[in-house]
Amino acid sequence: MAQILLLPILFPIAAGIILLLCKEFKNRKPLLIYVGSVLVITGICAVFAMIQNINNGVAAFYLTKTLAIYFKPDVLGCVFASVVTIVWILAGFFSFEYMKHEKNEKRYFSFYLMVFGVLLGLGFSGNLITMYLFYELMTLTAMPLVLHTQSREAVMAGLKYLFYSFAGAYMALFGVYFVYKYGTTLEFTAGGVIESSVLRQNTTLFLVVTMLMLMGFGVKAGMFPMHSWLPTAHPAAPAPASAVLSGIIVKGGVLAIIRLVYQIIGPDFIRGTWVQTAWMILTLVTVFMGSLLAFREPVLKKRLAYSTVSQLSYILFGLSLLDGQAFTGSLLHVVAHAFIKAALFLTAGAIIYMTGCKRVEELRGIGKGMPVTLWCYTIVSLGLIGIPPTSGFISKWYLATGALETGIPVFSWLGPVVLLVSALLTAGYLLPITMNGFFPGEGYDAGRFLGKEPPLLMRVPLLIFAGLTLLIGLFPNVLINMLSALAELFV
Amino acid sequence: MEIILNFPCISILLAMFSAIISSALNGKWAKYLNTFVVTAVGVLSAFTFWYTYTTKNSYTYVMGHYPAPYGNEIRFGSLEAGMALFFAVIMLLSLNGGRKKIRLEIAPEKEKLYYIMINLLLSSLLALVYTNDIFTAYVFVEINTIAACGLIMITEHGRTIEAAVRYMIMSLLGSGLFLIGICLLYDMTGHLLMVYIHSSITKIMAAGTYQIPLLVTIGLIVVGLAIKSALFPFHAWLPDAYGYSTVSSAAMLSSLVSKGYIFLLIKLIYRVIGFRRFYESGIVNVLFVFGLAGMIMGSLYAIRENDIRRMISYSSVAQIGYIYMGFGLGTSIGMVASIFHILSHAATKSLLFVSASGLTDVSGGHKEFQELTGAGYRNKAAGAAFTVGAFSMVGIPCFSGFISKLLFAQAAIQTSGKTLPTLIVLAISTVLNAIYFLKTVIRIYTPVKDDKYEAVSSGKNMLYLVTLVCFIVLNLALGMISQPITDWISYGVTALI
Amino acid sequence: MGENLAQNYGEVVAMVLFGIGFTNLLLQKNMIKKIIGLNIMDTAVYLFLAEKGYITGHIAPIIVNNDFSPDTYINPVPSGLVLTGIVVSVSVTALMLSLTIRLYRRYHTLDLDEVSKRLKKEGL
Repeated sequence: MAQILLLPILFPIAAGIILLLCKEFKNRKPLLIYVGSVLVITGICAVFAMIQNINNGVAAFYLTKTLAIYFKPDVLGCVFASVVTIVWILAGFFSFEYMKHEKNEKRYFSFYLMVFGVLLGLGFSGNLITMYLFYELMTLTAMPLVLHTQSREAVMAGLKYLFYSFAGAYMALFGVYFVYKYGTTLEFTAGGVIESSVLRQNTTLFLVVTMLMLMGFGVKAGMFPMHSWLPTAHPAAPAPASAVLSGIIVKGGVLAIIRLVYQIIGPDFIRGTWVQTAWMILTLVTVFMGSLLAFREPVLKKRLAYSTVSQLSYILFGLSLLDGQAFTGSLLHVVAHAFIKAALFLTAGAIIYMTGCKRVEELRGIGKGMPVTLWCYTIVSLGLIGIPPTSGFISKWYLATGALETGIPVFSWLGPVVLLVSALLTAGYLLPITMNGFFPGEGYDAGRFLGKEPPLLMRVPLLIFAGLTLLIGLFPNVLINMLSALAELFV
Repeated sequence: MEIILNFPCISILLAMFSAIISSALNGKWAKYLNTFVVTAVGVLSAFTFWYTYTTKNSYTYVMGHYPAPYGNEIRFGSLEAGMALFFAVIMLLSLNGGRKKIRLEIAPEKEKLYYIMINLLLSSLLALVYTNDIFTAYVFVEINTIAACGLIMITEHGRTIEAAVRYMIMSLLGSGLFLIGICLLYDMTGHLLMVYIHSSITKIMAAGTYQIPLLVTIGLIVVGLAIKSALFPFHAWLPDAYGYSTVSSAAMLSSLVSKGYIFLLIKLIYRVIGFRRFYESGIVNVLFVFGLAGMIMGSLYAIRENDIRRMISYSSVAQIGYIYMGFGLGTSIGMVASIFHILSHAATKSLLFVSASGLTDVSGGHKEFQELTGAGYRNKAAGAAFTVGAFSMVGIPCFSGFISKLLFAQAAIQTSGKTLPTLIVLAISTVLNAIYFLKTVIRIYTPVKDDKYEAVSSGKNMLYLVTLVCFIVLNLALGMISQPITDWISYGVTALI
Repeated sequence: MGENLAQNYGEVVAMVLFGIGFTNLLLQKNMIKKIIGLNIMDTAVYLFLAEKGYITGHIAPIIVNNDFSPDTYINPVPSGLVLTGIVVSVSVTALMLSLTIRLYRRYHTLDLDEVSKRLKKEGL
């Protein structure tokens, strides 16, 4: 019954399309029940499919004789799919409340469901061409979420997002052609699919191709120099959509890069070449620059988007070291960041929804009125900065020790230094909100926020995310063991 | 099943005689006759295709009394028959998709003339596909031109007349070059039948004489046909002709007329000149460069355009560029990719034209983008179809455009020296395509407050709806079950010789 | 080289005429001159074909006195091609002329660039 794998992918996509074709609902209730049940059912299907079929492949159909749409959830894919499922369902329930004050709910939810299916497909994809297919579909189906409000600003942001994503995707496709030609197979295989003799003959060619593909997939992950779409596009979306865009969809780029580097090209080929150096430089630049820009940004959602740019490059830096421990750290950070960033954006959404405040300086004294929200915010902020006992601490610990362990000249110590500086900056741009929120000092309008605690449907997802952040920080061993095993296989 | 061997000849004659009979009928009956003829040609071609495909053989059919090498011949294998089938299908779909517009835009007394022109177009396309005689090919090239000119100027409009004149001038320049080319070829080889010319050329080449005249001749023929099929920079007539004629005409002009010439060129390359010689002549490099230039320039023009029909037309310039780029790669895989792109582009571009007409109809007949805002909601079927077409053009996997790009890239990687330019231009052109097509998709799905224009329900015009569905299915079929099709093409080109 | 040209002067003239016709069709602004160019171009091709088909001292292939020897007659195929070509060129010329009339009735000019300018002004 390997076909069950197709179910969590196709079901939400079909459900989304059906919803899109439906007539406008008169009241919200049936819409919400429909979306909610689709989300939950898909989640259950996904879990079942993963438990039953881990490392079981199934080919859906063949594009050409050698090109199959092929699914095979390995550990990496399952981790990705689980994170997607958790965040998607929680953010979905959050948006039930949040979308009350936005128009076109039906369209929003139909695309929300479609992207869910597409992302599960991306996680389960077992070869390069399938991954590329779902990568493109992810770009396209996520676009209506970006330009949901259809204000001029949102449409421009959507177009920018589209342009960057396609430019990146075609840079990557360029490389796919070469892999298709020279590789023994397109199926993901630990250690790479290209014979080392072939690699040695065409070293320069493959280095250039790898670099192009890295940059191409890096667009989605907001890697410098193609990062500038991210701070424009993510804040333009409604808050729950920003949460999944920043928490999950950018990870699509990370997943693609892991697949590419560790399972298509092979880490041994890149190790010690200029590609690795360039990659490390780009990521470190991004880490630093993202934090700095976030520090200067007065609009909360934009600040969070810049923070995504910076945090994503933590992950990419860990990957670029091509070291087992750093790899574990990166994957831990993928999980940690997904929950944290989703929670942060949902907080921003809850604040916008309840008070309409968008800028940081307007939030003085907010802790008096919305203590639960702000506490959740504070916990996940600590996670993002990397203070124990939160998940962020564990992941950053692994990243930093991994970097030191590799012994790559300059970068093995420069990396941790940059990470540390960036962590300080992170504290600098996240914590003032907490401090001013709880201790506003003199001269603020005390009544403004009173009784503005968001409703249950918004609070519960926030609490769960904060709880998860703490939980992973306190009991990381299960996850670490699983990911280290994966790291050993890959590196 | 010997009778099937008569089918190609019968289908040509059927189309031609129906043109003559139509002149004695009124518009309505001419329409019925035309529909019948196109369907019949489709069925006949399907039989021929089935027969040639299963027997894996090419057949020569002698026209008239004189045997080769003097007489006139038809020659067909599975590639030719498949092309004829495909042309008939696209023609039928394009006509059905624009049927309502034909009734609205063409004066009633002229409707009959329109169907005469279409019958003539069909017969000339079939003849171009099937003929084995280069002078017959020339004659039908001219008939094709005249019929196409009729299709352009049937709508009374200042632009269409101007476009028709420009089209005629360009076409006549092209056919002049083609004519002098085949006369020179006849002069050198003494034959008009393609196969015999080929053996003569082989003898000439072996003897080492006439090297330069032969090169010039090949050049004249190739350039002549390239001009006729609107390769960049010979595309000046194209946007006006496609942009202002009635929608069926635009769909057929872009997907059939130019493709007929290209298919003739493919036949000449394989059957007359010989692929190897064509490759060595260096003309491939010229085609390659112009193809690449067309891929970029066509898309750039399209981005600047503010009129949806003209935008789609300029995108044709880019797509023709793809096809010639595939020729220019100089490998048989490149050729297969080009032929696949002929199919994929024909299916996509006519879909785009037909669906765009549905979108403009619900926008008060305006073709400018600002008026099209929200058109996807007003005509849901057309909006969905346009989106499919746009995805195919952009090259999203599962749509036909992706497979042709994949084939082009595969072909490019196997050449030496042309790999990088091809892949880079392919990538740039794809991004440009994505910009203007997806921009349009976003535009038609941007809702407007208090809509000026009324929505139509898709169920009203069943014929249009069914046509769109057929087009979408065709597109997805080309995208998802491409393997048998590419197998058929790669077998077919070897059987051309 | 020069000798070669002198021997095949018919073909040379045909090629020169073809060039003249081609340039006229391409570059003339006036529609009528364009059409004349087209006709010169086509005629050049017929001259070329006729020249190729003609064999010095032979006569047209009409059999009299039961003379079936190929040494008596010229090659009939090019003549047939010329005839076909003339038919094609006549119909194309007719079409072009009728188009020109249409254009003239609408815009009162034979200059295609002028028409384009006019169209732009109309904003059609």
